[in-house]
Amino acid sequence: MTEERKNYLKKRRKRRLLTATLQAGLLIAFLAIWELVAYLKWVDPFIVSSPSRIVKVVAKLYTQGALFSHLWATLYETILGFLISTIMGTLIAVLLWWSDLLKDVMEPYLITLNALPKIALGPLIIIWVGAGKAAIVTMAVLISVIITVISMLTGFLSVDREKVMLLRSMHATKGQIFAKLIFPANLPTLLSVLKINVGLSWVGTIMGEYLVSREGIGYLIVYGSQVFQLDLVMASTVLLSLLAALMYALVALFEKLVRKKFG
Amino acid sequence: MILSLQGVTFTYQTRDAETKAVEDMTFSVEEGEFVGIVGPSGCGKTTVLNLLAGLEKPSDGEITLRGGPLSDYRGREYPIALMPQHDQLFEWRTIEKNVLLGPEIRRTKGESHVRRGRELLDKYGLKEFAGKHPSELSGGMRQRAALIRTLMTDPDVLLLDEPFSALDFQTRLKVCDDVHAIIKGEKKTAVLVSHDISESISLCDRIVVLSKRPAHVLEVITIDCDKRLSPLKRRESGSFSNYFEKIWRLLEDK
Repeated sequence: MTEERKNYLKKRRKRRLLTATLQAGLLIAFLAIWELVAYLKWVDPFIVSSPSRIVKVVAKLYTQGALFSHLWATLYETILGFLISTIMGTLIAVLLWWSDLLKDVMEPYLITLNALPKIALGPLIIIWVGAGKAAIVTMAVLISVIITVISMLTGFLSVDREKVMLLRSMHATKGQIFAKLIFPANLPTLLSVLKINVGLSWVGTIMGEYLVSREGIGYLIVYGSQVFQLDLVMASTVLLSLLAALMYALVALFEKLVRKKFG
Repeated sequence: MILSLQGVTFTYQTRDAETKAVEDMTFSVEEGEFVGIVGPSGCGKTTVLNLLAGLEKPSDGEITLRGGPLSDYRGREYPIALMPQHDQLFEWRTIEKNVLLGPEIRRTKGESHVRRGRELLDKYGLKEFAGKHPSELSGGMRQRAALIRTLMTDPDVLLLDEPFSALDFQTRLKVCDDVHAIIKGEKKTAVLVSHDISESISLCDRIVVLSKRPAHVLEVITIDCDKRLSPLKRRESGSFSNYFEKIWRLLEDK
């Protein structure tokens, strides 16, 4: 290894260490100032809570045995919503790609449904599927399924026409064109849809829990705010952000693996 | 005579109009021959391509292959293979898998195809690239791989759709030589559709000059030169500019 290369690598390592230190430092400083503000009562801790109070609330939930059941309830709904909307959306996109007539017929409906703020359907969903988990999952699905259909279909339709013509000149069937060309060409589209849907499923689930739930993180947030236990609201929000980040990281890891495998 | 068009006419419909793209087109291609089709831009070359590739049927007239109607050949028996404008190799497949696409689509892929694929890749200098992805190859190598893909179904006629248009000039001349050598080496019949007059002269034994739309045959010009010369050498031969001039005038007049 040349001297220059060594220096370059050293510089890189230094830079990464600096970034990590600053990231950790920022978090610690934020938590410390927050704690201090509450401890010295510059602002009423009843309103802003504090890191130590949040830790206490989480510990209490844990000793009551409620922590994991709440986390799991929300995680379960989110994963279910995420899987259903991604699979269903992709399948609908395949159908629309398959039939030009169906695509033309459905176009105005897709546009309208995409523009509609899905939360407006909340009350209807409760009446139709009942005020339970089903309503929450339906919410999560509704919020991401339309955009999945639109993104996947756009991807399917933007595959190079000349590639399609090449396969048609080989007298490939429609199924072969999809399996050998359209789908593999859209693997990157699917991966980016997965990432978007992770975020949207969380939005849908929490919104659903605000409306109907008896358990879950969204429920804790609503309950906490109604009884003015802002410690609980803050603690739930922190838990939610950790969980969401974790799930995003998992999808990103999955993306990396798929990209590695399929170049 | 391997391929022949007799009075072929093709009309297509759009919302705004009915367009006659090809009218009463007649020419033929001999076995082992390299025939060029040139014409002014927008003259209906794409239509001729689609007709020969079997993606469209003539509104009138007939296309025959080895004496029988082309429309009798279906699916896996289709005897004409297309080499598209850009190589259109699939990025997610290795070169070897790309080359085997034809037999795979025909559901006839077997050991013999795998062996034949390797053999052709070896023969045309892509041995070390069989396991690589298209993005790791130069433009010239990609074209060679695309040509090998076309050869894999052992077609009677190769249909080349301006296969060099995406390459820079230097590469183009080299790939032209390669493609010519491979096609002649494999004793294949080829039809090149192009708007590039010099390229057509350098590659082809005969050139069919088309008129403006609706396209019909203005003249068929036999390129009379030493068949052993490579396309690059042909460009340097004395009669080259005469042919160029002749075709240029034909396209200009009409």
